[in-house]
Amino acid sequence: MTYRFQRSATPPGSRVIAARGIAVVLALLTAGAVLRLTGAAPVALAREVITDTFGSSFALQDLALLVSPLILTGLSVSVALRVGAWNIGAEGQFNAGAVAATGVGLYVPGPPLVVLGLMLVAGIGGGILWVAGPALARAYAGVSELISTLLLNFVAGLLVYWLATGPWLEPSGRAIGTTARIVPEIPALWDEVHWGLAAAVIIAVSVSMLLTFTRWGYEIRLCGSNLQAAHYAGMPVRRHLITVMLLSGAIAGTAGMFEVAGTVHHLQGGISNNFGYLGIMVAVLARRSMLGVLAGALFMAVLLNSGIILSTRGVDVSTVLAVTGLVLLYTAIGDEIAHYRFVRAPEPAAARINEMSST
Amino acid sequence: MTAGTSPLDPPPPDPSSLVRLTGITKTFPGVIACRDVDLDVRRGEIHALLGENGAGKSTLMNILTGIYQPDAGDIWVDGRRRHFAAPVDAMGAGIGMVHQHFKLVQSFTVAENIHLGWERTPGRIRARDLAARTLELAHTVGLAVRPDARIDELSTGEQQRVEILRVLARRARVLILDEPTAVLSPLEAEELFKTLKRFVAQGNAVILISHKLGEVLGSADRITVLRGGLKISTTRAADSTAKALARLMVGHDIVRNALRVRGPSAARVASTPVLELRDVAVCDATGRPRLDRISVKLHGGEILGVAGVTGNGQKELSQALTGMLPVSAGNILLGGVDFTHRNAREFADFGVGHIPEDRLHSGLAPALSIIDNAALREYARAPLSRRGWYRPAQARALAESIAAAAEVRIADFDMPAANLSGGNQQRLVARREMRIATRVLIAAYPSRGLDVGAIDTTMRCLAQLRDAGVGVLLISEDLEELLTTCDRIAVMCRGALMGVADPESASIEEIGLLMAGQHATTTALPDLRG
Repeated sequence: MTYRFQRSATPPGSRVIAARGIAVVLALLTAGAVLRLTGAAPVALAREVITDTFGSSFALQDLALLVSPLILTGLSVSVALRVGAWNIGAEGQFNAGAVAATGVGLYVPGPPLVVLGLMLVAGIGGGILWVAGPALARAYAGVSELISTLLLNFVAGLLVYWLATGPWLEPSGRAIGTTARIVPEIPALWDEVHWGLAAAVIIAVSVSMLLTFTRWGYEIRLCGSNLQAAHYAGMPVRRHLITVMLLSGAIAGTAGMFEVAGTVHHLQGGISNNFGYLGIMVAVLARRSMLGVLAGALFMAVLLNSGIILSTRGVDVSTVLAVTGLVLLYTAIGDEIAHYRFVRAPEPAAARINEMSST
Repeated sequence: MTAGTSPLDPPPPDPSSLVRLTGITKTFPGVIACRDVDLDVRRGEIHALLGENGAGKSTLMNILTGIYQPDAGDIWVDGRRRHFAAPVDAMGAGIGMVHQHFKLVQSFTVAENIHLGWERTPGRIRARDLAARTLELAHTVGLAVRPDARIDELSTGEQQRVEILRVLARRARVLILDEPTAVLSPLEAEELFKTLKRFVAQGNAVILISHKLGEVLGSADRITVLRGGLKISTTRAADSTAKALARLMVGHDIVRNALRVRGPSAARVASTPVLELRDVAVCDATGRPRLDRISVKLHGGEILGVAGVTGNGQKELSQALTGMLPVSAGNILLGGVDFTHRNAREFADFGVGHIPEDRLHSGLAPALSIIDNAALREYARAPLSRRGWYRPAQARALAESIAAAAEVRIADFDMPAANLSGGNQQRLVARREMRIATRVLIAAYPSRGLDVGAIDTTMRCLAQLRDAGVGVLLISEDLEELLTTCDRIAVMCRGALMGVADPESASIEEIGLLMAGQHATTTALPDLRG
């Protein structure tokens, strides 16, 4: 009797989740083995990481502060993917949104709530502005948005450094490489955690609803799945590509605004904390589902937070990166393996005839 | 079974046998593609493999060329059992295949394509050397090619020659051709068969996959018929008739319904055209004309056929007629209104349905659910849509009713459309389009990938639409189908309309000449604009 693997085009969701669970466990075991080789005590470290991540309200707040930007950047990448575009530039759009919001927060006078509203508008505008070039270039000239959005990330990152150390440097000169404190701030939801987290969840749910329950959403899904079919049905393919890419930039810009107005209260170099790039991983983990982004963001936040904790325990930063990479690699392998089933192959015809004739 | 002659023993050595397949079985999830198939191909013969779509011809050849591994059964070459783990193994044993869709690199030259992925290609390559080697090869084999021409400059017939040369250069002794004449004009096809005859005369063999009875009877030495994954028979071509082969292929006598005969309640052919083309021209990106000043009228209540070798502008015609392709000159009128610069949505809203020729690429979004695909034409209309909202529950109901009408049983409407078989995809697309085709239906190759029963159903549906007063444009490569279904048959060649034939009086030969690009002679054809 022979057995073989059989591939199915669409694995059931339960199988995918199981494969991912196993992948995470295997990745952590591998990481533990590596840590053990470097001379650390993996079990003790793991216990510390778990208590420091989930064990106290402070710890959970830290986690929550990581989750909300990851939801938004993940959503930004994910929504662009839905129309078939790779927005690698959530990082740049995040920075652009942060810059625009900071400009308003520092230099526009008025009641804090009004300024806060203007900051949000500016943040969204900044994100849109940063993605507009790549979106138009892709729509009208077929320029790969993958490259153009990626390159603009560096421009935005350097813009933040220049502003924070140059024109917008804190006037008193007491702090280095940061702007003055931005007075208007997003109200707190739970101590340190601001309303940005709730807003991010609401935005994710809304986008998911838009895609599932509106005509516009249907057209977007179709354009992203098969441009030819969208063209065949007479959908405005180019317009949809542009609007969704702008929406993607707006969401990333909002994340940047939330970060300066809710968490950091200054503009400083490296404020984006790689949230834009991590958003790509969140989107990949979420497998095209907008609500999956919520789970993906939480997962990434736990990884990120564990990394921070590990590095305070003397574990090398590159080791932390390696663990993160391992988890993602194993997950990708798990996703692929979930397609396969182990089945019994039909018996060879000749053998069957033999059996029949022998009876 | 008596001891000593187990089926696993080698077959008795037969000096004339070049390749032999015994007991080949291959299953795919839910489908038995081949069951216990034997095939014996002898030196010096053209062996035709005949069968309908899904009969197992392609699977069997994919096994022989090492693309698939059989679940059971053996391959024997020169009396020795062989195992082909990959196509390169089969090629090494002298078995090569020319696929229906050529596997050539469009932007490479002929010489580069010939030498691509070949272990005998010199390590240091210079264009001049490759061209010289190619010329030499072409000369030995007796195939005329231009070594320095780029593939995309070549006609399909020339591209096929390159494919054949590519296989023969690798010392093939068995050449497998999959539907080789589907892309050729009758003249090119004749040329091809001369080449094949020369090839087998040297002690080689050709396996010819086809479903064209006439061609098989005219060129093959022996004919094997497959049906439903089983081998039905192997006969000498000289002892066969088209009728007998057709019966073997289908399993029963083919009764062609005279669909042209209308019932008493059928709508009459409308006096004014519902669709009119006036000197419509389409150019591709490089400025080459794809449609050459086409003028034709389609009336409600008639079926107008479009005959022609595939690739002579049929795709462009169907796309221009449905608003998918901008025309560079001329006018398209729907119901007397100029629609030349309208988009596909506006054509559909007027009541133009479109069964596209490449359903998987433009008619469906394979990764999306069957529900989403069913909604493609009606998502913006009630009841699927209300004030900008899209209602998935209504879309599901629509998908269920389309599937029921198309007689496709679907276990899970949420699964991607890609999981459906090609035939079922085609049925669903056809039904979806018939729903919106209230005025005009453009049907490009609607019977492709369907079995005989489903073809019959589809053609009946077209006739029903016609009887309801819809103007139907039927593009097909099957002349039989056109002759039994259509009221008029327009013939296309190189983007131009060569003439319109009356199926009552026109012979297949006449239409064949028009397809080959020869203009109608003095026997005046009915006026195109009439």
